[in-house]
Amino acid sequence: MVQWRIITMVLIFGLLTGCDSSEESAGYGNLVINFSHRVDGSAAAYDMMIYENAAGNNYEISEIQWFISDVTLIDKEDGAVVLDNDWIHYIDTQIEPSLRWAVAEDIKAGEYKAIRFTFGIKGEKNIPGLFSDLPESNMIWPYPMGGDEGGYHYMKLNGFWMKDEIERTPFNFHIGVGQIYAQENNITGFVQNWFETTLPLSGFTIDSEASKELRLVMNVENWFVTPHVYDHDVYGGKIMNNQEAMGKISENGADVFSVEYQGE
Amino acid sequence: MKGKLYTDKSKNWRIVLVRLLVVMPVMICFTSCTQDESVEPVTQTPYIFEEVMHFPTRLNIPDQNPMTYEGIALGRYLFYDGRLSGRDHPDSLMSCATCHIQSQGFEVSIDHPKFTNGHPFGLPTPEYPEGKKTPHMTMPLYNLVYNSSGYLWNGFIHETNDKAGIPGYDFMGHNELNYKYLESLVWMSIVAEHEFAGSIDQTVEMIASIDKYKPMFKAAFGSEEVTIDRISKAIAQFVRTLVASNFKFYKYVRHEVELSPSELRGYELFFSEEADCFHCHAGSLLMTTNDFYNNAKDTVFEDSRDRFAVTNNLMHTGAYRAPSLINCEINGPYMHDGRFETLDEVIDFYSEGLVYSDYVDPLMKNVREHGVQLTEEEKADLKAFLLTLTDHELLTNPDFGPPSDIGEYRVR
Repeated sequence: MVQWRIITMVLIFGLLTGCDSSEESAGYGNLVINFSHRVDGSAAAYDMMIYENAAGNNYEISEIQWFISDVTLIDKEDGAVVLDNDWIHYIDTQIEPSLRWAVAEDIKAGEYKAIRFTFGIKGEKNIPGLFSDLPESNMIWPYPMGGDEGGYHYMKLNGFWMKDEIERTPFNFHIGVGQIYAQENNITGFVQNWFETTLPLSGFTIDSEASKELRLVMNVENWFVTPHVYDHDVYGGKIMNNQEAMGKISENGADVFSVEYQGE
Repeated sequence: MKGKLYTDKSKNWRIVLVRLLVVMPVMICFTSCTQDESVEPVTQTPYIFEEVMHFPTRLNIPDQNPMTYEGIALGRYLFYDGRLSGRDHPDSLMSCATCHIQSQGFEVSIDHPKFTNGHPFGLPTPEYPEGKKTPHMTMPLYNLVYNSSGYLWNGFIHETNDKAGIPGYDFMGHNELNYKYLESLVWMSIVAEHEFAGSIDQTVEMIASIDKYKPMFKAAFGSEEVTIDRISKAIAQFVRTLVASNFKFYKYVRHEVELSPSELRGYELFFSEEADCFHCHAGSLLMTTNDFYNNAKDTVFEDSRDRFAVTNNLMHTGAYRAPSLINCEINGPYMHDGRFETLDEVIDFYSEGLVYSDYVDPLMKNVREHGVQLTEEEKADLKAFLLTLTDHELLTNPDFGPPSDIGEYRVR
């Protein structure tokens, strides 16, 4: 009788481990996310006054620096795989290695139907002092302008526009936590301007023991178009304490990003 | 770890220390066994860097030059010994401390008795009997361990610099003197005609002839041998210990002191979009981004040592490092060419003195209005805040000052 019990337990154990084995057979793969910055469908060209936005401003781009966070793959059963344990990735058009994020954690093989991410950093994570090393620390959003949940810019897009069509003038298209002013220089509250974007994937798979590449594209011209036509002549070169401008940028961000991948 | 290039805490000081602790005994064994088996084994003590809150965790310490207390002690002597010039005549003494004066924030200062308006010059040569002026003002030497963006006003000294140096010397693991490390600045100072105007061999010979240094080299490097590699490493180790973090604003951030109403207003201005100092002078509490900017000083650019000279990027024409504002109270004259003598002049410049050029950095977004247009009260508040950035402890810390027994060759 005891022998039968032992045999039964061994069989059950074998069945269970057999199930585990089939799980493992799905395996794990790797993902590399590349970041591109385009204007009107072509790779962004820097330091050249060759672009025109929806408001008719001629403009040039000097550099783009920004944070992406909460990057998550959504599988077919709506399961979420948050990449690299909530890693906050810094992207800088002047720092080539930052344009490529090799996700460190292995990702379960299978098909994924969407990628979701936060542009910028959500307030509860965006605490002053989060970064002490360069270059991330240079993204500081000063405490007086951001409070306890506004430690860093979401993005710095620096460049020049032809002010009133005649004068090349610097602009700092900077977005982060906005402020509510009761009166001038009297901040009574803050506005979180980060936003989430979900981009659908079709036929995108992570393959076992293989590395997959995915390209996330910032389409720069879309920051200035929908639903708000953004006019540099109206908002000028500095907007960090202009929530009206930053709020429009945040809303315009909905269609700024697109995704490309092999097998698309 | 893949994909974690920019906030990888694996490169923080703790890991550096662990590496030190692992590497040092091995190095000691090698140095004591392979170079001179007759000498007694020496013990070197790894230097422990204290983490400074809100300062970078990534330290610029090359693997080839781990820091030890013995190396730092030697470096401190050499830093202050005028015979580093390779000469011992009283008129020919020069060392690092000649232009990097502790009480002046390791700069020259505007009221230097010899270097008029704070502009240093080198030892006399037949071509320059009065000494050749340095191309730029001196930069302060503190917090360099936190800078991985390149040294000098234009960032010329950087690990990626492959410009050929002087061949024939073992230096930092290379077979030539190069322009890659903080250590490189030592040999460059020795040979530069606007500094020591000397020669490597002459300096090595001079230091090797001084009995006092023999046990110090042995303690630091395992044998008494004097080389330019060891001289440079020791001085660089000492300089890396110069950390400036005990200033009033930092203490305010640590909730240890209060700021006055004027200092507080200045603080808010400094970190506001209106005055906009912080984009170039903040980030961490180093009070600099260590990045390079054309800050709208000029419309004509003739300096061959600007950032453009390093990157060959036209947009870097007329760009220089944003220096740390720690100790800005005392380390004038200001800007790379020392054009401003006082802080008031600097504030006035940023308020209403900017000039547009095609190379101006886009962060100078008020350039078309010639500046940020501060009121007199705002200027006073901003200055009050800037004065909270003086680290008085750095200026008087005996560990950073000249050794008491260095004698008559100490430069002043």
